[in-house]
Amino acid sequence: MKNRTGFRALVGREIQRFLSVFGQTILPPVVSSFLYIFIFGFSIGRSLQEVSGVSYLEFLIPGLIMMYLIEGSYGNASSSLFVSRWANHIQEILVTPLSYLEMVLAFLIGGLVRSVLTALGVYLVSLIFVRFPVYNVWIVLYFMIFVSLGFASVGLLVGLLSEEFEHISMWTTFVVEPLIFFGGVFHSMDMVPHVLKVITAANPIFYMVNGLRYGMIGVTDANIYLCMAVVMVFFSTLFAFSVYLFKIGYKLRV
Amino acid sequence: MTDNNAISIHNLVKYYRNRFLALKNISFEVNEGEFFGFLGPNGAGKTTTINILTGLANFNEGTVRVFGHDVMKDYRETRKLIGLVPQEFNFDPYLSIEQILIYEGGYFGIPRKTCRDRARALLNEFGLYEKRNQDYRRLSGGMKRRLLIARALIHEPKILILDEPTAGVDLELRHRLWQFFRDLNARGRTIFLTTHYIEEAERLCSTIGVIHRGQIVAFNEKNRLIREISGHWVVVELRQPLKALSEELTRFGVTLGREGKVLRFQEQAGVTPGVMKEIHRLGLEIARLDVRKATLEDTFIKLTGFKDSFEGDLDSMRMAADEE
Repeated sequence: MKNRTGFRALVGREIQRFLSVFGQTILPPVVSSFLYIFIFGFSIGRSLQEVSGVSYLEFLIPGLIMMYLIEGSYGNASSSLFVSRWANHIQEILVTPLSYLEMVLAFLIGGLVRSVLTALGVYLVSLIFVRFPVYNVWIVLYFMIFVSLGFASVGLLVGLLSEEFEHISMWTTFVVEPLIFFGGVFHSMDMVPHVLKVITAANPIFYMVNGLRYGMIGVTDANIYLCMAVVMVFFSTLFAFSVYLFKIGYKLRV
Repeated sequence: MTDNNAISIHNLVKYYRNRFLALKNISFEVNEGEFFGFLGPNGAGKTTTINILTGLANFNEGTVRVFGHDVMKDYRETRKLIGLVPQEFNFDPYLSIEQILIYEGGYFGIPRKTCRDRARALLNEFGLYEKRNQDYRRLSGGMKRRLLIARALIHEPKILILDEPTAGVDLELRHRLWQFFRDLNARGRTIFLTTHYIEEAERLCSTIGVIHRGQIVAFNEKNRLIREISGHWVVVELRQPLKALSEELTRFGVTLGREGKVLRFQEQAGVTPGVMKEIHRLGLEIARLDVRKATLEDTFIKLTGFKDSFEGDLDSMRMAADEE
């Protein structure tokens, strides 16, 4: 990294961007996580049997944290890049000596910081309802970092591909959200019919949710090494593709 | 290529994705310390050239160098050397006015404290210091234009590229900006200016390049360019109006203006005696005769034939000059 000062400035700008709209970026997921935990975990969950040897509330919390982690990193990168393309202030960055790798990394770290702050907020909310020791903090960190960076890369790609605000919400509604909801946030493999098991196993988010769940409570529906591998392949492929598109100037340079 | 070339463009070809050929093998050089005017009608390729120089556009063939550095291979070096004042306002809406400058300096690798000091100095210089904590959207058009210039100077570039820098700016500010650009140039900064206001280029630039339909149609030192292409013009004021030009006058390239009372033509060997003879044949009485040096406007119109598209601007500039 040759332009470290430039890189730090761009990371700082990315963080300042989402903090300046704190009420739209950090607060809503924390508030809605409270509602999810209260309704699904605390109220309905009490009438459910244990899942994989733990209470449904404990089972649900890592899934919710992963859901908001994905939404935060994806949402941050997609909206930041799309708005800067739309309002054309991306040119402020493109005319500088920042390399394309530095630009992409700065956008991703912006997404990472926002999603980790959100995840921390959701975790703190969960402590109101249930407390449990974290099973393996390193695994938790691995999944939080690489899933955030991976989904921030997805956000960058969507931010590049979209031509209108509507396109961003279409990607979110028709691609990201269904993948999250079918990714085992709310259910274990034992709770769903065979068809859904097959669909779930083909969904990369399933491995992310289960990886984090294993790190937090020591329970998983998939092999932890497979989960780690899926996350790494997911992140590195999308990251490399984002850098490539920035380098060729796809929808950035005319 | 010599060492004092601030910008060297050779055989540059640019196609847009729809296969529109925007630049057709253009080549030119701008020396260090020059005040260079890049003129052309809308869509001629001015902004495309600027975008290629600054990293906002790709190109298909040719080489583009800034102080000897290739804009593709050594983009980090070339971008440090250039400050761009774009046509449109493109500020980051999440930042205050001062932060816009501080962050931009940061992207160029300048430490934060230096950025802050430079930002405050520039804000003072451009009369924006009191507004430093505001959102840029609350600034007037002229203030936003000044902020664009301040942002382009935060990393102290050796070349300042001005893409229509005084568009939509009032007369007083335009003159202040002109003086500011002259001072910057006098202090050794190379300036690359594109403008719709021909008078602006005539007043400020030492060298002029004219681009038309993606090709360089003229490139020279300003006075030489005007002299070589347009020479002198003869203006004949008649006592009685002429309803229409005769075939002979049309053949000599004479134009008729101001209610049929003014004939205007380019002075060339054989033309002036021929026109005078025809005026005499038509029995017209001359009230006044004037020979004047051509202007950049004459040269531009002759090169591009784009009088109509500049008429409004030229009129406004004439008014501006009259008011001055």
